[in-house]
Amino acid sequence: MSNQRTTKDILQEAAKNEARIPLYNPKALEAIREEFEKWKATSVREQERKNWAVTPFAIMGDEIPRKLLYTPLEVADLDYVHDLGFSGDEPYTRGIHANMYRGRNFTIRPLPGAGSPEEMNSRYKFLISQGATGLSVALDLPSVQMFDSDEPESRGNVAVVGVPVDCVQDWEVIFKDIPIDKVSVSIVTHYPRNTAILFPMYLVMAEKRGIPWDKLPGSVQNDFIMENVVRGAIEYIPPRDCFRIQCDNIEFIRKEVPLWNYITLNGYNLRENGTSGITSIAVAMANGIAIIDDMKRRGHDADWVGERIAFFWSFGNDFFSEIASLRAARRLWYKIMKHRFGAKNPRSMLLRCHIQTSGISLTREEPLNNIIRAAYHALAAVLGGTQSLHVDTYDEAYSVPSERTLMPSVQTQHIIESETQTTLTVDPLAGSFFVESLTNEIEEKALNELAEIEEMGGIVNAVESGWLHNKIARFTEREQQQIEKGIKKVVGRNVHQSTDAELPTIEVSEYDEGKASRMIEKLRKLRKERDNAKVNKCLKELRDACKRGDNVTYYTLEAARANATEGELRQAFTDAFGTWKPPM
Amino acid sequence: MKGQKRIKVLMAMPALESHTRGLFTVASMFRDAGMEVVLLGNELPERIVDTALQEAVDVVGISTYCGSPVVFGRDLLKYAEDKGIKKNTAFIIGGIFPPKDEPTLKEMGFCGVFPPGPGATREKIIACVEGAVKK
Repeated sequence: MSNQRTTKDILQEAAKNEARIPLYNPKALEAIREEFEKWKATSVREQERKNWAVTPFAIMGDEIPRKLLYTPLEVADLDYVHDLGFSGDEPYTRGIHANMYRGRNFTIRPLPGAGSPEEMNSRYKFLISQGATGLSVALDLPSVQMFDSDEPESRGNVAVVGVPVDCVQDWEVIFKDIPIDKVSVSIVTHYPRNTAILFPMYLVMAEKRGIPWDKLPGSVQNDFIMENVVRGAIEYIPPRDCFRIQCDNIEFIRKEVPLWNYITLNGYNLRENGTSGITSIAVAMANGIAIIDDMKRRGHDADWVGERIAFFWSFGNDFFSEIASLRAARRLWYKIMKHRFGAKNPRSMLLRCHIQTSGISLTREEPLNNIIRAAYHALAAVLGGTQSLHVDTYDEAYSVPSERTLMPSVQTQHIIESETQTTLTVDPLAGSFFVESLTNEIEEKALNELAEIEEMGGIVNAVESGWLHNKIARFTEREQQQIEKGIKKVVGRNVHQSTDAELPTIEVSEYDEGKASRMIEKLRKLRKERDNAKVNKCLKELRDACKRGDNVTYYTLEAARANATEGELRQAFTDAFGTWKPPM
Repeated sequence: MKGQKRIKVLMAMPALESHTRGLFTVASMFRDAGMEVVLLGNELPERIVDTALQEAVDVVGISTYCGSPVVFGRDLLKYAEDKGIKKNTAFIIGGIFPPKDEPTLKEMGFCGVFPPGPGATREKIIACVEGAVKK
């Protein structure tokens, strides 16, 4: 791939063939330049003339220098129709829907908290009775990391940060009497492997209830960057194999569960782990490009797979940069799909996304300040035009969010929607010399980082070689020093500490050993009662399929039907692919 | 610290912990302070204790965000006691956990408990470790 043209080359080539119609006429620009120089020389203090551009230092920030004042000179070659267009229209800079929030408000998607399968079932029923049309499944740590509740690693972790799912039976309990053909379910499977394990189990549950798969709405995350880079784990499989499982899942779901969203390219956890926003855009898009290339090799065109690709971003403190980054990402993805892949279907050129406000930007000190921070993050997300939003709770630096702290976070979104009047007008900051200039700069820098990844041979190589791990390590080390030196200001930590910072009550649920023992007992019974010969046969067939190169998700499906558990399937993958050590 | 033995630290986190940023950040603080760091990563309490024994470390640092730090901490320190390294090893723990767990963790034998915030600066973490090793 390294001798191929980069996306940057392709987009530059495409740009050459397009006739631009500049919005500003040269005479006007000349007059502005003349007046600007006069004004700068006479009205601006010498100090500001010298430090005209100041580098902003925000947590996870992009550090694009900020001028004192922006004028048309910064966006002198702006071509309105070509660069901005109209909402719901190419190049989608202004948003993916013509009517934006008037047509449909951003989805308020809080995570539902933790509990046993039975508890989650009643919570979901309650949420539906309150009018919820979408549900999220947050898995507990053993289920995320693909361990059964009865494995020693799971001790102390069962049902703590989410719901445990070991086997089909757990899905049956969680969704008992819930109309999964009407309610969309977002299953937060971060990794390709746990997607390949848990999603087929979900399908078997639907099958047993007689609900056809083509009626199921929902999404999974399924991102190999999450599995190989953005997580600590006791074992990893090699990135190339993990990338393949990611693509197997996509192909399987696209064919078998047509309404389901099969990948959410996760810039969120990557950025929170330690990158700039620009890097998170470049990496997510590099993965998206690799997926489409892989699908083409499998005989599927870009529109076939592009239609349901979604993104997930973190929004932090650098307010205008966050807004500009979403506008830039939308335009860049459109260009990639159109010019690099020749997409025809407008749906596959749209960058649809969910945004979560930044957790790493919140502090343990003076936790109520976090409500204010998250509100700015959320407002930026709405001004940027997100489709879906989760606002972090103020106790983020203390524990898993409690139900009590969830309320202000949900209400923050309702305040934006019902009180601020910001959702009435689409992309309200368009045309700002500053915001347009930032949008251009972010797009250019993301494209440059993307080219850097492509020159390494693509995202899988960039992970295998340790390039991305290294980049994160350098970023976090530098950021830590910047906070310690006060270069990155954090109110309540290194500046403006409050003298009487009384702690609000932080509610924390006790660890309940009983939930773990019930899960363990269920597994004991399952292993005794099921046809173990059949399970072993399915696991062997899965291992063989891994080695042969068949689509593995069809084999995990058979294993799920035979009541294999998540831990058993994890082990089958590890046995087939071997382990990998992240290059730290 | 001329003439003194370099402090050796084992950095680890519970087997299933997925958040790595705290572990790496604190590990690099120790390295910057001239200490030797063994970066173990995710492991079971028994394996962490075995490694601490094999590597003859002075300090065991644990990073935890999810799960129960109390259940994990109790297991870890019990194995450490069984293996006879609890007394001469300094155990410290940091990460996201509720305030009420702090005294519990201290009581069970963690000499440094570091939730994020003003108590978890580079200076304070290093001072805690140096103080504990001197004893």
